[in-house]
Amino acid sequence: MTVRRRIPLWLRGVPWLALLVLAVVGICAIGGDDILPADPNQLNLADAFRPPFWAANGSVDNPLGTDNLGRDILSRILAGSRISVIVAAYAIVFSGGIGALAGLVAGYFGGVVDAVLMRLIEIQQSIPSIALALIIAAALEPGLSTVIFVIVLTYWAWYARIIRGEVMTLKGRDYIAFARVAGVGTPTILMRHLLPNIFNTLIVLATLQVGQVILFEASLSFLGLGIQQPDISWGLMLADARQYITNAWWAITMPGIAIMLTCLSANVFGDWLRDRLDPRLRQL
Amino acid sequence: MLEVDAVTKHYRTRRGTVRAVEGVSFTVPKRGTLALVGESGCGKTTIAKMVLLLEIPTAGVIRFEGQDIATMARPALRSYRRRVQAVFQDPYASLNPRLRVGRIIAEPILAHERPGRTALDKRIAEVLDIVGLPAAAARLYPHEFSGGQRQRIAIARALAPRPELMVLDEPVSALDVSIRAQVLNLLQDIQAEYGLTYLIIAHDLALVQHFSSAVAVIYLGRVAEAGPTGPVFADPRHPYTQALLAAVPLPDPDHVLSEAAAAGEIASALNPPSGCSFHPRCPHAFAPCSVDVPPPYRLAADHVAACHLLKEALP
Amino acid sequence: MLLQVDQLRMYLHLRRGVLRAVDGISLHVNEAETLGLVGESGSGKTMTGLAMLRLLPRDAGRIESGSIALDGRDLTTLTETEMVREIRGRRIAMIMQDPMTSLNPVFSVGDQVGAPLRYHDIARGAVLRSSVIDVLRRVRLPSPEQRLGDYPHQFSGGQRQRIVTAMAIGCTPRLLIADEPTTALDVTIQVQIIALLKRIQQDAGLGIVLITHDLGVAASLCHRIAVMYAGQIVETAPVRAIYRSPAHPYTQALLAAIPRLHATAKRLTAIPGQPPSLIDPPAGCRFAARCPHRMARCTEPPPMVDLGDGHSAACWKLAA
Repeated sequence: MTVRRRIPLWLRGVPWLALLVLAVVGICAIGGDDILPADPNQLNLADAFRPPFWAANGSVDNPLGTDNLGRDILSRILAGSRISVIVAAYAIVFSGGIGALAGLVAGYFGGVVDAVLMRLIEIQQSIPSIALALIIAAALEPGLSTVIFVIVLTYWAWYARIIRGEVMTLKGRDYIAFARVAGVGTPTILMRHLLPNIFNTLIVLATLQVGQVILFEASLSFLGLGIQQPDISWGLMLADARQYITNAWWAITMPGIAIMLTCLSANVFGDWLRDRLDPRLRQL
Repeated sequence: MLEVDAVTKHYRTRRGTVRAVEGVSFTVPKRGTLALVGESGCGKTTIAKMVLLLEIPTAGVIRFEGQDIATMARPALRSYRRRVQAVFQDPYASLNPRLRVGRIIAEPILAHERPGRTALDKRIAEVLDIVGLPAAAARLYPHEFSGGQRQRIAIARALAPRPELMVLDEPVSALDVSIRAQVLNLLQDIQAEYGLTYLIIAHDLALVQHFSSAVAVIYLGRVAEAGPTGPVFADPRHPYTQALLAAVPLPDPDHVLSEAAAAGEIASALNPPSGCSFHPRCPHAFAPCSVDVPPPYRLAADHVAACHLLKEALP
Repeated sequence: MLLQVDQLRMYLHLRRGVLRAVDGISLHVNEAETLGLVGESGSGKTMTGLAMLRLLPRDAGRIESGSIALDGRDLTTLTETEMVREIRGRRIAMIMQDPMTSLNPVFSVGDQVGAPLRYHDIARGAVLRSSVIDVLRRVRLPSPEQRLGDYPHQFSGGQRQRIVTAMAIGCTPRLLIADEPTTALDVTIQVQIIALLKRIQQDAGLGIVLITHDLGVAASLCHRIAVMYAGQIVETAPVRAIYRSPAHPYTQALLAAIPRLHATAKRLTAIPGQPPSLIDPPAGCRFAARCPHRMARCTEPPPMVDLGDGHSAACWKLAA
């Protein structure tokens, strides 16, 4: 009799469903328009407000229905994943990179550097992110780069704080002390000893961020501060469909579900990754 | 070879000044082994850190071959860093888990030289052989080894740059009893083979007596007694040394442990007792003990004990 | 006989295999007697202690076979509720190694020492308070009345160990399991705790199982010693016999490997090699691979040979 029988599979095993969803999103993002069932931008006013295929007036040609301009919602959702992935990728890489660097330096050197950084973090975290977004979007033109810029500005502090904590714990480790005793230079210590050991934490943080970033982008686009027409974004779809919620509930619900599923999958995956990586580290 | 001269270290914290080390002096003879012995909070680890230049003394001087290590110029400092190495207590925390053993051992070499790939590999294999591990170990990661083996890797790492002085901070405390003997024997062998000088931090008195030629007993940041291991252990003159020795449980059922030798708790370095820091626990305390800090009275050429009781005994 | 353990087997069911942590051990403890369970890490001594209280890792640990009889009553047959209500903290108590983490930092010392008394319905209200003060006095904690409201961080390591001991003896248990109670303490404090344990044993006729790797501590506290290796007991004997005439090669090797105060040996006799894996232990004698007296016969499990006067050892060398 093994332990596996007693622990529910979804806790112990790989999160297949989450990975599947993420894979679909990923494929659509790279795939391009050709793999979509229909042209996401094709207007077809005669077909407007067609409900999903299981409802009275629905058809399999538009499995999730059409929006107010007759555009196929499924195709638009799949196309919208492109923006989500791009934003997530750039935003996480930049905010994670900047945040990790800041956290590394602050955590290792302490003193004034750390104090300054902590104040910056505190200032940054006390400004509501939407307000920040409004200000920046007003200053710059709304669009993809603005969205990424706002997200990086909002989230770097989160990474910095956590990485700083990790580094402060790690720097007391004997192998760091030994490196100093042996005469190893500080940059080498940071790169060789600290960075690889915070890498796991960084990866887990990044994965957990995916959901948040997508939601943030959706909110920004919903408010009109982010992606603009004719680009497709889930947030934008929500904004467009809001006024039709009473007579075409699917137009707003479907993109909403897409957002939810993607965030959920990213979170489940991130949690699983953290559990997988942590105990092994302890074994190390 | 190493001379610690009236070294003091104070830490300023929110709760007050922690007097970790107060006027500690001792010398480590070349090719000898000096043990710093004491209980928790006595400052022995802090002294080791100062010797390793991980901390700077608040006062006093540490001299390596006559030179003050705190004021050394760049080149002398680099040389110091090569000639003085360390082995730490916890074999599970002293090796970077993400690096292969070969790279771990190479680190102190690479900090000072730029040997070619083959030369470097050869040196790594050599030093692995000295500590009794196969050359193939260089390709593995630390987690694939046991505690005792990891400590050997740590010793190999310290040995790699051909040091002259090794600071050993409780090198076997975290190891099993049967493994301790292996590692201690190894340390003794390489000391003899390479003429190394050891400064060892330990709390196990039996180990200290077995392993070191000289000992300095530290209590609350001050040297209570220091001298060659033989005389200090055979005839301890400081009440704290006596208490320590009396408190060691011997593997002998007929040995009686005396509880009276050191009653009470170890005082705090934040608020040390006045005068002799041991006086509240000392069974022989008398008038001057709570007033004056006892200076180290010289009992023999290299045997000192800081206790007022000796004032009368000596001319 | 206060405690009798017979052929106890406790295995841990892990992902990577079945770890035979305690593999067929038999021991007994009499009243007012201290049995030392001596071994290195991985020998199974802590697991044995936990198994006696059935405090095993919930999913993985299981008692496979054997019995644990306390005053004649087999603990392996009791339900969890019965264990909690009647045995743990009441008839068998345990103190652990690290006094820093044994006490809950957010409850006062008075609360924690009183908790077992309250739970087992020994005392309530005003009587509870005086019982707590009384037991704290028994462990020689200075000024107990003033310190009831203090929190663990306000005490030193040695004092915390006294407090933990007070929690353990409050309900006057029959047996105390002490798992490395002095390992984390300084040597001058260790002496005090050893004296404390001796005293409370004499006062209450308490049986003690002392789990330790320190042969010096074992010598100063124990009446009898059982030496464990790789999940099995290799030798049991009255304390003098273990130190004066150890019969099992492992015991002999262990005694030769430790540095001793005032001894003359300049070189310690190391034991080569490592303890075997408990997931796939060797079929015969588990010490054979490292034993200087290894014979062909050692591939079979050695019998426990009775050497008389309560001294027994599991070794083929003695079987002839």
